[in-house]
Amino acid sequence: MPREKEKDLEQDLYSRIDVYKLAPNLETCLQCGKCAGVCPVANISPSYSPRIIINDILRGRADRWLESEEIWRCFWCANCYTMCPMDIPYPMLIMQMRYLAIEKGYGLKYFFPFKKFAMRAREDGLTFAPASPKAREKIAKIRQGIGLSPWPEISDKAREEYKALFDMTGVTDFLASITEDNEKPVRSTYLEGRITRARGKGN
Amino acid sequence: MGRRTKTAVVIGGGPAGIEAALRIAQAGYKALLVEKEPELGGTLKQLCSSFPRWEDPQELLDCKIQELQSCPKATIRTNTVVAAGRPNGNSYILTFSDARDGQTDEVVADAVVLATGFELMDISIYGEYGYGVYPDVVNALEFEATLKEWKLGRGKPPKGVALIKCVGSRDRSKGNPYCSKICCMYTAKQAGMVKELFPEAKVYVFYMDYRAAGKHYEEFVREVIEDRHVRYVRGRPAKILCEEGRLLVRAEDTLLGLPVEVLVDIVVLASAVVPRPATRRLAEMFGANTDEYGFIEPDRFNPVKAAARTFFAGGCGFAVETPLALQQGGAAAANVIALFNLE
Amino acid sequence: MQEARVIRPEERIRDIPERVFLFRSCTGSIEYPGTESAIRETLKMLGVDAVMDPDQTCCSGYLLTCSAHKPEVSLAVTARNLAIVEKKGLDTYTFCNGCFGYISELSHILLHNQAYLDMANGVVGKLGYRFEGKTRVFHVQELWYRMKDTIAAMLVRPLNGLRVAAHNGCHYVARQYGILDDGGYPTFHEELFELLGAKPVFYKERQLCCGYAVGRGFTHKEELVQPHLYKKFKSAEQAGVELITTVCPGCNVALDREQPNINKRYGEAFNIPVIDLSQLIALCLGVPIHKLGFAANTTPLNGILERLGIGKETADG
Repeated sequence: MPREKEKDLEQDLYSRIDVYKLAPNLETCLQCGKCAGVCPVANISPSYSPRIIINDILRGRADRWLESEEIWRCFWCANCYTMCPMDIPYPMLIMQMRYLAIEKGYGLKYFFPFKKFAMRAREDGLTFAPASPKAREKIAKIRQGIGLSPWPEISDKAREEYKALFDMTGVTDFLASITEDNEKPVRSTYLEGRITRARGKGN
Repeated sequence: MGRRTKTAVVIGGGPAGIEAALRIAQAGYKALLVEKEPELGGTLKQLCSSFPRWEDPQELLDCKIQELQSCPKATIRTNTVVAAGRPNGNSYILTFSDARDGQTDEVVADAVVLATGFELMDISIYGEYGYGVYPDVVNALEFEATLKEWKLGRGKPPKGVALIKCVGSRDRSKGNPYCSKICCMYTAKQAGMVKELFPEAKVYVFYMDYRAAGKHYEEFVREVIEDRHVRYVRGRPAKILCEEGRLLVRAEDTLLGLPVEVLVDIVVLASAVVPRPATRRLAEMFGANTDEYGFIEPDRFNPVKAAARTFFAGGCGFAVETPLALQQGGAAAANVIALFNLE
Repeated sequence: MQEARVIRPEERIRDIPERVFLFRSCTGSIEYPGTESAIRETLKMLGVDAVMDPDQTCCSGYLLTCSAHKPEVSLAVTARNLAIVEKKGLDTYTFCNGCFGYISELSHILLHNQAYLDMANGVVGKLGYRFEGKTRVFHVQELWYRMKDTIAAMLVRPLNGLRVAAHNGCHYVARQYGILDDGGYPTFHEELFELLGAKPVFYKERQLCCGYAVGRGFTHKEELVQPHLYKKFKSAEQAGVELITTVCPGCNVALDREQPNINKRYGEAFNIPVIDLSQLIALCLGVPIHKLGFAANTTPLNGILERLGIGKETADG
């Protein structure tokens, strides 16, 4: 396999990846590893590491990650953001990497369940409201047993306006535009997690 | 010409202040050294061993103090703080206060040397490291005391020690953005000392970089790694947890790209070097400027000059190692002597 | 030196509010309505009026992090929801870490980026709303801590040394602009437990994420979420935890409903009930049990109620 050539610093970082300008201080990264040390995903599957992803993006190798399955593993727990000594908002970066990936057709399998939820939420004004009448009955029973209304009180006005916001901001079109036709396979290098207990000579 | 009545007041009795007072007195001027603690020595007095030659700092200190005490023109006043100061023509009138009974007296100073030194940042703000929560998580100066105990054969021998660098330094989020300069070297020294005292103990140093910029410094660190077998892991730890009654340090080994966990008995945090609050107060008193961190801001063309008649040396200007504190003390003294000679 | 991230409760919530806006959580109201009920009852007992509004929609944060929303819609929805609260002149209290984290983060972005604020107000303006950033956003756990002395004084069902452990969740302590307690080592839940007569347990993986609530439970359940939760439950079991409290219905779903699956996969017998901190407080303050909705819990309460001398008054669900 040919060696990857060292490219220039990602020239279009802010026009291509961080288009929302929500992670403006990526270059402050010291590669200290605090983020990866606390990341729940990195501790299970080290082929995903927030630190490595930031470094690769800065060195112009973002495409390797856009085509990967790894970026879909992030829990968005934001522990990395909490720990980072430079306050780099890494979750915002991953969020935008994911948008770019699905626009190119990668990782759609990790996106479609949520497209479904989003289309339903657009109608309900609530997220994760179950669709099946049986499930709704179960919820109603519990709620009424407590003395609450059978369904969370949400007005028709709320639902209509919620739907309108989706349409007005172009999100409805965005969701409709991502279809399976565009789907491309992702690469995944799942490294078996291995917690090393550091040792040294004479230790 | 009034030379014999000129007095320089040196504020702070650590190595920088002692050196400054010593050279001023040896040049024939009166040097008055004030120190708020009962003993001279400053931070140096707390240290066990030194880099790059593993020498005993107490020997250096004893030698310097003896030299100073045998100087007829030098006066040492311990348990004394500078409570106030006001300009008076070409000199200052200082009010000294005894730290024990509050009694005050006044002294005329024709020049002032600030040598108030540094302290370590309060790192309890790093909840993830548990300083102040777990008793065995200590900062670097507290660990020096532990090393001294171990050297005397007292205290419990450790099975594992982890030293973490850059705690509060190179940190724009909760700490200080600057590098505290001396931690890489003293951490190597501390790690090397543990291995010397307890060769069977597991010793880890967690680092982002190691900065060994000085004479024989790189060789010193390599000796600690290669000959004393301290394990250096590149990665800033994310968390310290309690497991089986011991401390678990969780980090990423960034050179491997794999998570690492080590189980140790003691964790030493190389905390950021910060100026003492007194420095800013005294700087104001004597017309000196401090930077955004509280360290003395030097004159553009004279790195030990703070104001017209005010000089400084040592940790109050920035983090320094012992030889540099002595050098700066000497330079400040030279400035005072020159000033007095010209008048 | 950056601004301090930890502020004292009296600084965070200066005066105890008389009325608050209780922000409805989708997961909370659907999966664990007992949490919503417990909060409403507790607020009533503490003399705080809880206002809700059917015009409020989902906070729209969750699907944003799953990449099914774009920031534009989430910013606009946040602007609209907060505009509704602003009109009432109240502060916003959420009971879900997700709602809290997303609303705080999104409103922070709106208030610090003129372009986004103009975009959001432009969109919601067409519906007749205007967001001005006048309402402050809190989580009810902050109010509980702020009123801890009042709560302690009203204790009627002490927990008699029950071994309770906290699960703080991620999106509350991940906040960057002023949270209660230390994000690196929070202890305020444990302080509340002690006041309620429980024995707080600091198990090793106390601060580990729940792993579920941001969609990875759908996409990476076997690969990541289950091994991850296994670590957490194992650590809790080893420390002898009898009850875990959460402050986020999402975390509650993860920790409560996933235990049987983890047991099946790993051959374990984890059996630790998981309830909301508000339900625990309500329980201790004497709120009738049937109002706390424990029927919604997958992992049963293991006779905890009986041990506390409360007896089986749970409504059948």
